[in-house]
Amino acid sequence: MKAIIASEWLKARTVRSHWVLLIIAMMFPLIISTLVGIFNPDPQFVSYREVVSIVASSGAFSLLLLSSLWVINLTSEFTHGTIRVTYAAVPARWKVIVAKAVIGTLVTAVVMSVLFWLNFGLGAALLNSRGATIIVDGWFDHSFKVFVALVTFAIIVSWFGLGLGVLIKNSPVAIVVVLLWPLIIESLIALAFALSGYESAWKWMPYQTAFQEIDGPSGVDSALSRPWGHLYFAAFVIVVGIIGVVVDRRRDA
Amino acid sequence: MITVEGLSKRFGNTVAIDDLHFSVQPGRVTGFLGPNGSGKSTTLRCMVDLDHPQSGNVTFSGKHYRQIEDPIRTIGVLLDASYVHPGRSARHHLEYLAVSNHLDRQRVNEVLALVGLTDVAHRRVKTFSLGMKQRLGLAATMLGDPEVIILDEPANGLDPEGIRWMRDMLQYLAGQGRAVLVSSHQLSEMALMAEDLVVIGRGRLIAHESAADFIARHTTTRIRVRSPQIGVIVRAVQERGGDASMLSETADTDGALVTGMSMIDVGELAHGNKAVVHELLEVTDSLEDAFLAVTREDQEYRSGSSS
Ligand SMILES: Nc1ncnc2c1ncn2[C@@H]1O[C@H](COP(=O)(O)OP(=O)(O)O)[C@@H](O)[C@H]1O
Ligand SMILES: [Mg+2]
Repeated sequence: MKAIIASEWLKARTVRSHWVLLIIAMMFPLIISTLVGIFNPDPQFVSYREVVSIVASSGAFSLLLLSSLWVINLTSEFTHGTIRVTYAAVPARWKVIVAKAVIGTLVTAVVMSVLFWLNFGLGAALLNSRGATIIVDGWFDHSFKVFVALVTFAIIVSWFGLGLGVLIKNSPVAIVVVLLWPLIIESLIALAFALSGYESAWKWMPYQTAFQEIDGPSGVDSALSRPWGHLYFAAFVIVVGIIGVVVDRRRDA
Repeated sequence: MITVEGLSKRFGNTVAIDDLHFSVQPGRVTGFLGPNGSGKSTTLRCMVDLDHPQSGNVTFSGKHYRQIEDPIRTIGVLLDASYVHPGRSARHHLEYLAVSNHLDRQRVNEVLALVGLTDVAHRRVKTFSLGMKQRLGLAATMLGDPEVIILDEPANGLDPEGIRWMRDMLQYLAGQGRAVLVSSHQLSEMALMAEDLVVIGRGRLIAHESAADFIARHTTTRIRVRSPQIGVIVRAVQERGGDASMLSETADTDGALVTGMSMIDVGELAHGNKAVVHELLEVTDSLEDAFLAVTREDQEYRSGSSS
């Protein structure tokens, strides 16, 4: 398994388009906080929570792009036929998918962590230089909770990208599903339930339940508190992944 | 040794392979021959566990592909030279394969040198010609120094020089005691490369014999002879029980096509009858014609028997 993980890591880092997506995913939040830092008209009134809020919501954009990266990492193998080369070298197909999930987890964790604090530091420094007084006080304060929630959530979404990728195989379709899932697909499902009389279905949609309002209070709009929401979403994603792996094993590569 | 037993594969209603049996011996190049769409690629994909057949078995010295640990150390397979990420360099393509099967990265340099791609190894594959991709594909199959080599139409996209290179390489590898199975839809290509032939048409086995026997059985060799005294020669041939027909083409000298006699016999007959010979030549039917005739017969037989 170590060899397969090493092989997948080599694959992931030797394609330029992966780096392009990664850089876009990192640039966007940095640009947002730079703009806020420079152009906010009243820096002295910007609160610490507001900075965290900007960092978290721009991070939510990055994690969607990152999950597209994991979709492409997998679906491009089907597009270019390299999946056949890979599966001929590693006939236990699930190991390849799990190795990709391990790489996805590590890269997402590192990228989202660096991004969060870099972004927070950048925004705070720019605002502080213009008269704001923003500091981090204590490990377990608000910003740290938001940080943990964001990184955990990003990791689960990266698995979601892989699960949908292995199930769907086709890059554009899988990316569209990943991107539209939180925006449209869950809303439509919830609406369908609501029309059938299950008004509270919205609170049980997996993505929404885990995301909630990522820097807001936990368990308000959703049926579960945030940690349980993460577990619930992770369980859903793992089921999608297992279905994907089983389907992939049975079909012709 | 590769053993294929009763292999059948359908895609929906399309029968791609139908109860295929054959074996591939080490130490020689076996040609896997059949027209386009006859099921060669499907068979090869079933061999390495990519496609799942409805029935039948493929074993490598008794083992299924999926039972072989780090399979590229035992079996090198090239299904399609275009199965590479265009944005990745040739070296990285080989490296990820090597790493996945616990091979030393030094092997990558060795196989790159073997196929002559060392100087372009850092370039992204999208800049490669089809011929270069075929070489890269062969390099990938050689990474694990395997006992068995399986190649799907490796001569596609190669120029005549490239085909000669490929042929020499495969014969060299077989000479080291490896089993080499190489597919093609052109008999003439296989006649140059392979000692044994497995011929299929519409997914069914047509012939499994040495290339020389297959060619001898399905082609006729005639002797073309030109002479100012052609009538004398034709008469002598017929007296000996041979068959001769006059050539109707326009040429300086009259000629005839002789069947049922060797070139030496015809030459000696001419000499014995004091006839001057301007040309004496063995002509063999085009291999492609012979091959098409064989596969057509098979197809007609099958459509006739099924209706
Ligand atoms: N993935 C597939 N789905 C449906 N039909 C297929 C598939 N692969 C091959 N076939 C069909 O199976 C038959 C054999 O194809 P193939 O193995 O590619 O032949 P060859 O390699 O000899 O040209 C053809 O009729 C082809 O259309
Ligand atoms: Mg083919």
